[in-house]
Amino acid sequence: MAGRAREGQGASRGVPVGRRASIALGGALLGGAAPVAVEVAPGAFVLPGEAAEASAANLGAIANTGFLLGRDAVAVVDPGGSLAHGQRLRRAVEAATRLPIRHVILTHAHPDHVLGGAAFADLGAEVVAHARLPAALAQRREFDRRVLAREVGEAAAGSDALAPTRLVADRLALDLGGRVLDLRAWPTAHTDHDLTVLDSGAGMLWAGDLLFLGRIPALEGSLAGWLRVLAALRDLPAVRAVPGHGPASVPWPEAAADLARYLEALRDGTRAAIAAGIGIAEAPSRVAPEEARRWPLAEAYHARNVTVAYRELEWE
Amino acid sequence: MHPAFPRRPLLLAGLSLPAIAHAQGIEPAETPRRAARWHDLRQAILGDRPVAPAGAALDLTAPARAQDAALVPIAIALSAEIAPQVTTLTLVVDENPLPLAAVFRAGQPGALRALTARIRVDAYTLLHAVAETADGRLLEAARFVKAAGGCSAPIGGDLEAARQRMGRMRLALPEGPPGPGRAVPVQVAISHPNTSGLQMDPLTRLSIPAEYIREIRVTYAGAEVIGVAPDISIAENPTFGFTLAGEPGGELRVEAADNRDRRFAGTWTLGTTG
Repeated sequence: MAGRAREGQGASRGVPVGRRASIALGGALLGGAAPVAVEVAPGAFVLPGEAAEASAANLGAIANTGFLLGRDAVAVVDPGGSLAHGQRLRRAVEAATRLPIRHVILTHAHPDHVLGGAAFADLGAEVVAHARLPAALAQRREFDRRVLAREVGEAAAGSDALAPTRLVADRLALDLGGRVLDLRAWPTAHTDHDLTVLDSGAGMLWAGDLLFLGRIPALEGSLAGWLRVLAALRDLPAVRAVPGHGPASVPWPEAAADLARYLEALRDGTRAAIAAGIGIAEAPSRVAPEEARRWPLAEAYHARNVTVAYRELEWE
Repeated sequence: MHPAFPRRPLLLAGLSLPAIAHAQGIEPAETPRRAARWHDLRQAILGDRPVAPAGAALDLTAPARAQDAALVPIAIALSAEIAPQVTTLTLVVDENPLPLAAVFRAGQPGALRALTARIRVDAYTLLHAVAETADGRLLEAARFVKAAGGCSAPIGGDLEAARQRMGRMRLALPEGPPGPGRAVPVQVAISHPNTSGLQMDPLTRLSIPAEYIREIRVTYAGAEVIGVAPDISIAENPTFGFTLAGEPGGELRVEAADNRDRRFAGTWTLGTTG
């Protein structure tokens, strides 16, 4: 998916941009290399995040974000990790279409996915999220903003999440005009408020952080729950998926294999450590070290994943 | 009040409010405010008694950056010379709303030699351990821990399931039962949500009342091994490690009570298989 980019053409037509390969943004606007929105399906675009921790260099743009065009409206999926990231995404939308952004969908409350919301605050779009997201956001928002300011510096100023205006307890159909998105709220998995978007017409699953590739998964919700939800996601009628972290789109369900292997190794290794009387302080360095070594950023997340898994499994 | 169980939560809570506001979660380690705070806390908990640096006598271990602010494993190791003389260990999480996390009392000499616990950490904090010896000396050690939000973090999993499990206990003897001349590590865990009173129900948005274990007593073959007076800074499912000496084949008994006066007990006969 290299940047087969063309500068903003077709932006004035007010219709889905159809089969043009991808949309580039004016480099001058950004003061740097032009990020490229990849058209992963007709009228569906992904702005791939960088496989790194948030920093001044990447402005917090570390998660995949994107948008879908219908006949009448645009839905944004995850507004990004900072105001700058959100603005970049918004320019990508505006380069692709003049249709209004009517929906901002949040796959979950993690800062790399939601703190770009401020870039869309003036639009009055409905903000759609899992029914449990508001509580999670209330709990972490201020802390996450402070951390972003420390990681990204002054450029983080103005970054903030949008408050959800429409909550999904189970399923919701969003009609963009000729394109109906099937939103599903899942039981506790990556977090306790994961939401996916199935673009049935395109056979494309927007998985949020229920799917990681090329970056070690981060477990916050439930290990057993994530494995169950992943099994359910594999059965959805999709042939491609957009992961929360990784390439813009990947074959589905084949691309779930690495994640499933990691989660199973984490589960089996943690159970074995508990059975052997290894304490929670020592377990992180002793559970599934070979599996962890296969993943970028393992040093930042594997120990925490083991801690979360241990906490869950020791009373199962 | 038993001198080993100083409970002055109101005083400590009052003292903590302005400092918490200052702390804003991520203040660095070396600030005059932190030193002043520990000075005040020490005064409130231990009074005017002199406290000396523990040096090599006491090693306090905690992760520099916690993996989970609601479950931070800590360990206190006493040197071989000092261990038999230590009668109590006091654990303080300076920046927590209720800083006094727990007081551990040795029932048998050496029981506190290798102590472990799991705490909540609400903001970047100094952690203090103070050992009291039989001859009345106080020895302190400190660690800085980066973690935030641990006191108000949601409970892991489902609160209802946790309530139904309440009082179940687990015992781990990674090195087997004790034997003649061989003291062994023991870990005891009590299933209990141990809510801090600072957590919120994600659906009702109402705060969850504090329900927490406030007393634990462990005996072996009828004699006390260790007593613990924990508070809300202890993580859910309170889990403690200590050292047990004795003959094999005795009965280990754990008795616990929470602040609602629910009482829990577990017994295990420590045979050759542990």
